[in-house]
Amino acid sequence: MLEKTLVDSIKQNHSLTQAQQLALGKFIDKGFPTSKWEEWKYASLKHLNEFNWLWSPETLSVNFPKPDWKHSAIIQTLNGNTHSEGALPQGIALLSVSEFMAQNPTFESVWNARNPILDQNSLYDLNEALATDYAVLWVKKGVKIAEPLLHHYFVLGQQDTAVQSKIFIYLEEDSEITWFEQQRSESSHAILSNYVQDIWVSKNAHITLIKDQDLGQNITHVDHTFIFQQESSLVDAFTFSINAGYIRNNLHFYIDGPQVVSNLNGLYIPGEGQLMDTHSVVDHRMPHSESNELYKGVLMGNATGVFNGKIFVRPDAQKTNAFQSCKNVLASDRATMNTKPQLEIWADDVKCSHGTTTGQLSDEALFYMQSRGISKATAQTLLLLAFVQQVIDKLGHDEIRAELSDKIVNKIQASLGLTI
Amino acid sequence: MLSVKNLHARIGEKEILKGINLEVRAGEVHAIMGPNGSGKSTLASVLAGRTDYEVVEGSVDFLGKDLLELAPEERAAEGLFLAFQYPVEIPGVSTTNFMKSAINEIRTYRGQDPMDAVQFLKMFKEKMAYVNIDQSLLSRALNEGFSGGEKKRNEIFQMAVLEPKLAILDETDSGLDIDALRIVAEGVNKLKTPQNATILVTHYQRLLDYIIPDFVHVLYKGKIVKSGNKDLALELEERGYDWIISALD
Repeated sequence: MLEKTLVDSIKQNHSLTQAQQLALGKFIDKGFPTSKWEEWKYASLKHLNEFNWLWSPETLSVNFPKPDWKHSAIIQTLNGNTHSEGALPQGIALLSVSEFMAQNPTFESVWNARNPILDQNSLYDLNEALATDYAVLWVKKGVKIAEPLLHHYFVLGQQDTAVQSKIFIYLEEDSEITWFEQQRSESSHAILSNYVQDIWVSKNAHITLIKDQDLGQNITHVDHTFIFQQESSLVDAFTFSINAGYIRNNLHFYIDGPQVVSNLNGLYIPGEGQLMDTHSVVDHRMPHSESNELYKGVLMGNATGVFNGKIFVRPDAQKTNAFQSCKNVLASDRATMNTKPQLEIWADDVKCSHGTTTGQLSDEALFYMQSRGISKATAQTLLLLAFVQQVIDKLGHDEIRAELSDKIVNKIQASLGLTI
Repeated sequence: MLSVKNLHARIGEKEILKGINLEVRAGEVHAIMGPNGSGKSTLASVLAGRTDYEVVEGSVDFLGKDLLELAPEERAAEGLFLAFQYPVEIPGVSTTNFMKSAINEIRTYRGQDPMDAVQFLKMFKEKMAYVNIDQSLLSRALNEGFSGGEKKRNEIFQMAVLEPKLAILDETDSGLDIDALRIVAEGVNKLKTPQNATILVTHYQRLLDYIIPDFVHVLYKGKIVKSGNKDLALELEERGYDWIISALD
């Protein structure tokens, strides 16, 4: 089924380059990940093999509500096609990857040597084979934009649709942006939303990356975000997984220079019928760098959560500091959480720590609160909101923080039938 | 106010309270003393509604209501307060927010309008001055990283805010140095009125130097085996529990 619909679709719609054909071959060989693949043990996508996918989604336009605080340009990716609405700030350009490479001829060899970890990732191959629009957001040297750039990532379909989106953010030296990505959907059919985002952070550059994942129940969203950091660069990443039938976040950090700081913050709050899986990779390839991971999860209904946090400290990466924390609350006795920290350390002069916990709300705390007149439902809400607040509070932008905080509070209260 | 009759309670298979009888009237201070493991803290927990314990027999009437039928938060709303031996850390929730939720849920239970922010702040400030507690403590996450003394003082502050009809102080003296003990005891004394009552659960007589009880009860193996006035506490201080126990065993 899979092979036939794919081949038919390609014959009809477009010709593939040699690299794309190679990637397609790899995907057809492997198919969608199954629970037999170690990296997909709790997040099988085997059932996707059976769908009659539309592989070349239509380009449709949608009206996306603009947040009150956002006045200037918005970048949209609609079913894989990226464009900007309104004029982008001075020093920022949106162009195709071929134009970008033509203007940066020395970059291509650097790019080809980046060497990300792609084992057991057939969806990356699928994206490479079928993504037709590969846009680059180019932030020029020394350009610092205080106002967040808003990215509308949107998938929609009038039949079962597989969407491949691909975008590349290139920050030159000393530049600084905040990328606020709202991932949304509109479909009564199944959608595979397969998204590759590459980010190149040059020397002294700084990006704050905020992903607000609020998608429909029939959406399978696979997000590959690969970040390559050069000397003295800083990345503050936030992933808020709020809604979707299925979310898999492959968030990779490749630390390719000294004095790099990588901060990974994540919050996932799956409810009934939802699965949220985070696979993070922090690959310390160079010395004197620092990574901090803070992940929290609240699992409600019959939700499944997965956290796999890999930290590699390569032989050259002396004086590395790498910290990882993943804390989860099972707010329902039908919910499950699977955690696996995975540290591989080859350098000897490093500081690394990790800790994962999964538990329920403390009965002692609930009783203490009840003994003061607070109902059990309110006590649960107060404790859960306090638990998630630690991640939300790290967001620096007031409007974004308020918007996300409301949404997260509402989801938790609605899922647990709580009010406050 | 409180009438406990033939109260039996167990945890798992183990019966801990084996027929407690206790009458507390408005305006009274009762001290419940006894050796470790006699069931003192269990009695306090059962009255407050901790679900780990199962009441197997007996009744508890609190201001005309069957206390054992009420959820812990309903007991609080009816005017019962338990100061914990080990106040629980509530990460991420400040005392201020915690108390605001408590006050307003209790007011809703009683059919009163919730307090607005201005009223609440005014009341809060008065109570702070009353028990001499610092603002900085109240804006921190409740009990998180508090010293033993700070936790106990915060319990008394919560008691001042909630104005209970019956306060049960479970080993409030444990882990306190003499200065902290005095401050906590002063708070309790200040809050005492002819309309409310206090039950002090304590192992040592020390606290009773500062809060003078009207009645002293000795709990042993899940029963009140001796009752008297404050002189009984002094006698226990002098002679220990052995003379009572040996007369029984």
